[in-house]
Amino acid sequence: MYYVARVINDECSKYNCKQCTLFCPEPNTLMYNDEKHHAYVNEERCKGCALCVYVCEHLLKRNAIKMVMPEVHAD
Amino acid sequence: MSYNIYEINEDLKEFIPKEIVDLQERATWGNPKRGVMDLPYSKELVEEHSLCAGCPESAALRYILASLPNPEDTIIVNSTGCTSLVFPHIALHTVHSLFGNQNAVASGIKRVLEIRFPDKVKDVVVLAGDGATVDIGLDCTLQSFFRQERITTICFDNEVYANTGGQESGLTVKGYVFKMAPKGKQFDKVPMWQLAIDSGCHYVARLTVSSPKRVEQVIKKAIYVAREVGPTYVHLYTPCILEIGLNSDDGLEEMRNRDKERFAFFEYMTPHAEEVINKVKEECLL
Ligand SMILES: Cc1ncc(C[n+]2csc(CCOP(=O)(O)OP(=O)(O)O)c2C)c(N)n1
Ligand code: SF4
Ligand SMILES: [Mg+2]
Repeated sequence: MYYVARVINDECSKYNCKQCTLFCPEPNTLMYNDEKHHAYVNEERCKGCALCVYVCEHLLKRNAIKMVMPEVHAD
Repeated sequence: MSYNIYEINEDLKEFIPKEIVDLQERATWGNPKRGVMDLPYSKELVEEHSLCAGCPESAALRYILASLPNPEDTIIVNSTGCTSLVFPHIALHTVHSLFGNQNAVASGIKRVLEIRFPDKVKDVVVLAGDGATVDIGLDCTLQSFFRQERITTICFDNEVYANTGGQESGLTVKGYVFKMAPKGKQFDKVPMWQLAIDSGCHYVARLTVSSPKRVEQVIKKAIYVAREVGPTYVHLYTPCILEIGLNSDDGLEEMRNRDKERFAFFEYMTPHAEEVINKVKEECLL
C-alpha cells in the first residue's frame, strides 16, 4: 500500500471552499458532500500525489487534509 | 438529465459496472453551461488512467472534458504520447491518429461531418503533446491553420518528449538538459502561439493549467470560435514533473511560477472571433 489523502471532516466543514476537489489531478477521486459540508476522498482511486495537501496547507493555510497509510484488510 | 447514448437497458442494469451507470445518471450531458464547478459533484467523462501521480496533464484533461460545451457531439483526435494513455478511458468519441497526423485526421473528420450532419453542431478537437504538435506534426498542424479548418487544436506543452523518456522537442527551453538530450537544447523554444496567429488562427491562447476556471473559459472560447469562424489554438503548459525532477505535489507550484514568466496568460482573437465570443457571452454561455 501507499499513503493516500484523507479529509479531516470537522476541519474541512468550517469552510466551503472545495478547492482541493478542483486541483486533484485524478477524476472523481476528491469530491464534495454538500449536505455534510466537507470534501471526501475515494481512497481506492487516490494515487497519493499529495497535491491536495499542498493546496489546503500551503495555498489556503488550512489543515483539513492529510496523507495517511490506509488500513489493509487481509482476507 | 443524462444523454441517451448511455441509456442502459433496465434489465441489465444490475450487471453493469457502477462507473457506466454513473455516466448515465450523474454525468453532465446536454448542458452547454457545464464547467469545472461540476467537478466536485458529477461523474466525469474520464475514468482512472495510468498517468504519473500528480501529473498536470491529468488535471488539464479533467478541466477540458468538464468544459466541452457539447460533449455528446464532440470528437477528440489524439496522438501518441502521455496523453494517449488517457484516451481509452474517456467516454467520448476519440480517435488515435498516427503520431503527428492528428490535425490532418481531424480536418478530414470535420469536413465529412459537415456533409453527413449538415444540421447538427459537431465539434472536432485535437489534443496532443508538444512533440506531436510542433515537431513531427508541425506540417499537418500549420496546414490545417492555412486551410482554415474549423477545428480546435490544444497542445499539451510539457517541453519534452515525456512518453519516450526525455528527448528534447522544439518547445524545450534553450539550454535545457534531459536524460536523452545531454548536450542541452541548442536553439530557442518555438513560439508556437505566434506561429498559430501568423498562420491564420482566429483565437489563440497560451496559459498554464494552474487556474481551472481560466482553462474552462479558454476552451469554451476556442470551441465556439472554431465552430463559426475557423481554426483556433490553445497552448497549455502541463509540466512533466517526472522529467524535470519534481515531486508529485510540485506541479501546481511549478505552473504558478511559470504564470509569471514564459507562460504568462496571453490571448489573441480576430475581430470576427471577438464578435462570436461577445455573442456567446450575451447568451450567458461564457
Ligand atoms: C510515427 C511515430 N514516431 C515516433 C513515435 C514514438 N513516440 C511515441 S510517444 C513520443 C513522444 C511524444 O511526445 P509529446 O508529443 O511531447 O507527448 P508527451 O509524451 O510529452 O505528452 C514519440 C516520439 C511513434 N509512436 N510514432
Ligand atoms: S511522464 Fe511526465 S507527462 Fe508523462 S504522465 Fe508522467 S509526469 Fe505526466
Ligand atoms: Mg511533450
